[in-house]
Amino acid sequence: MMGSISKRLLTMIPMILGITAVSFVLMQLAPGDPLAMMVDPSIHESDLAQVRENLGLNQPVWIQYWRWLLAVLQGDFGYSFVTGQPVLTVILDRLPATLLLSGSTMVLIVGITFPLGIWAGYKANTAVDHWITVLTFIGMSIPAFWLALVLLLMLSVQLEWFPLSGFQNYAVFEPTVWQQCASIVHHMVLPLVTSVLGGLAGLTRYHRSGVVGILNRMYITAARSRGVGPSRLLFKHVAKNAALPIITLLGLMIPGLIGGSFVIEYIFAWPGMGQLGVSSVFARDYPVLMAILVFSSLLIMLGTLVSDIAYQWADPRVGRTSV
Amino acid sequence: MVIRAILALVVTAMLTGCGSQIEQKMLVMPLGADPSYLNPILYTDQPSAEVAGFIFSGLFRVNERLELEPDLCQSYTVHDAGKRYVFHLRQDVRWHDGEPFTAEDVAFTFERIMDPTTNTVRRSGYIINGKPITWHVVDRYTIEARLPESLGPFLFRAAIGILPKHKLADQAINTAAFNRQPIGTGPFKFHDWKSGQFVRLIRSDLYYDGPPQLPGILFKVIPDAQTAMLALKRQDVHMNGVLPKDYHRYETLDYLQMARWYGLNYTYLGLNLKKAPFSDIRFRQALAHAVDQQKIVDTVLQGFGRPAYYPSSPVSWAYPPDDQPLYAYDPARSHAYLQAMGYRRNAAGRYEKNGKPVSLVLATNQGNKYREKTAALIQQYLAEIGLDVRIQLMEWSALLKLTKDTSEATGFDMIVLGWNIGVDPDASSIWHSREYPQGFNFVGYSNPSVDAGLDAARQYTHRADRQPVYHRLFTQIAQDVPYLFLYHTETVMGVNRRVQGLSMPGPAGLMVRPESVYLTP
Repeated sequence: MMGSISKRLLTMIPMILGITAVSFVLMQLAPGDPLAMMVDPSIHESDLAQVRENLGLNQPVWIQYWRWLLAVLQGDFGYSFVTGQPVLTVILDRLPATLLLSGSTMVLIVGITFPLGIWAGYKANTAVDHWITVLTFIGMSIPAFWLALVLLLMLSVQLEWFPLSGFQNYAVFEPTVWQQCASIVHHMVLPLVTSVLGGLAGLTRYHRSGVVGILNRMYITAARSRGVGPSRLLFKHVAKNAALPIITLLGLMIPGLIGGSFVIEYIFAWPGMGQLGVSSVFARDYPVLMAILVFSSLLIMLGTLVSDIAYQWADPRVGRTSV
Repeated sequence: MVIRAILALVVTAMLTGCGSQIEQKMLVMPLGADPSYLNPILYTDQPSAEVAGFIFSGLFRVNERLELEPDLCQSYTVHDAGKRYVFHLRQDVRWHDGEPFTAEDVAFTFERIMDPTTNTVRRSGYIINGKPITWHVVDRYTIEARLPESLGPFLFRAAIGILPKHKLADQAINTAAFNRQPIGTGPFKFHDWKSGQFVRLIRSDLYYDGPPQLPGILFKVIPDAQTAMLALKRQDVHMNGVLPKDYHRYETLDYLQMARWYGLNYTYLGLNLKKAPFSDIRFRQALAHAVDQQKIVDTVLQGFGRPAYYPSSPVSWAYPPDDQPLYAYDPARSHAYLQAMGYRRNAAGRYEKNGKPVSLVLATNQGNKYREKTAALIQQYLAEIGLDVRIQLMEWSALLKLTKDTSEATGFDMIVLGWNIGVDPDASSIWHSREYPQGFNFVGYSNPSVDAGLDAARQYTHRADRQPVYHRLFTQIAQDVPYLFLYHTETVMGVNRRVQGLSMPGPAGLMVRPESVYLTP
């Protein structure tokens, strides 16, 4: 097993190189550059040319890529073209907000969909099942921007239960840790509800079909014939096996954790990675974009690797056949 | 257990959320995006300009009538026919860290702008005919500027925010930590900034004109325009721009008042003068007579604007006194021009020449609803006189790339865009023939008399000398129809009635004198 892991880690190196090279070139192929966006009659073309030269943007793409790669190998991701800050600082500034929101979303979605899916699967094709399906699909079909605005209008503007936007109460200059945590949680409720409601349907259906499949297995029939009661059957025999695929799912969801949802972050002014990514694309902030790309591809690869390993550990049958 | 803990947190937050005394008296303003650099010579974005304006001061500042008035400079004298200026600086100014402000800081700021390694886009503003303006410290509080030629907009350029030499002299300015924790000489000093969240300023007790009334200013980053409107309604922010569609809903709120003004801007339809049929002035005149600008203002802007006739703004002193359309809406004239050019209407009522119907492409940027609607209306007006127009909506940078395309085959036909013009009326970068193909004269306008006029008006230093030249130039440009001038938008700002001490609404904003703004309880 250790051998196969190191082999996979090794194959990640050329993959990362390939991904960065292709994206670097693609990014530069898109029209415009960090300076072309400035359309202001008081700015002259010669000024833009000088800054382009300072940033090295007048070099051929492959030289720019080579320089970038050499720097990155030494741990230097460069400076943002937009703010002049070190790229890692830019990203680390935005990461906590996104991790908090998407981590909470993931925990809530798994925590809600798993029992819901089991219930729907156990009661497959009954009224309960149909209602769960209909409600979760309504959640999925409502566009996030619309739901977000309705929540804001009702719960924030009308009832004033929740703050409108932002990460915490900015008017308090030196909050205590406790005040700060409370304020962040308070600000997170509406964005969290919006993102959770949209993500329920998929996983509920997934768990439901898993449970339906398990209920048809011979060992369930055997357990039933041995006289195992419905609750013991459901929680001991079904739930345990239905939980296995969650490991894979969690592994696949890890990369999504750092991406953040642009729509939700934008509407609620949540200071996360989704906003950073999109604004960096529009501003052609190449260093920030490349760093986001490197981290998310690394996470995707590591995420799949970890989930494969975890799956093998949880279900020894898998290890015998492949990896 | 977890749920109970979260509930407890939320309840605490609701109870403590009301905030402290400071919050009650702080002015709260929305920012559409995170600022980039809080450094006057580096930023190019609106949010940075809004925040930095409170922290930094320059030799001059712009007043409500868009004139310069002394700020860090107490007085100045002009010598050698506008080629030498001597500035006498205030001697009672201190940086927010307590250090005295001197002529060395002024010289340092302009040196840094001229340094090619500084990533500033302002440098060319201080270069005349290839030669830089140089700054010479005469004594601690006197500084002299030497210009290779006299330059009309010079004092406006000299009004840029001044940087502290003692903080930046040994720093790499492009990446300095200073850019995120600046020190200035303005009425408010920087307190802290969380990326994507807020910037907080507090009043400077060292301000030369006495400490401002407000204890501080909180800028909240709110990217979504709808959320920002709700924030105004909820009194989370004290002012915010109001769009025409929201005006009537917000006007009735008793805690808001509406401030309205025309900005220094115009929206236009640019015509590719280097390409047939636009190279023929009769075709451009036909287009100009075919479009009813007032109708565009009424429908697209819902009345919050006015038709544009000149490449200027009605609030500028350079705006020609004859406030009339040169080409009023009159489709009969359009037909006359087109027929004089040899176009004939075919069976479908469309104009054609040699059996080929006219087919034009109108490009604008996707996502700007006003421009999209304007494009659709122009398409409709041109269809009415028998010209076929196809609209092409493009991503911003793709559209900009199209403006640079000088090829006859793939270059643009017509483009809806807008200009924000400066307080100084110098418009060389848009209309001078040397600004094509590199530069903002992307339509390829070329008129030797306009070139000469622009060069002359740039050299005069007195408004009285420049004004008649600009009146003549802008009228001449409008007669040549390089653009169809469409409209000037009106800025509407919803302001909470608690905010007092604001200046007269105008392009300089509502807080020309931020130190006198205060909040009533």
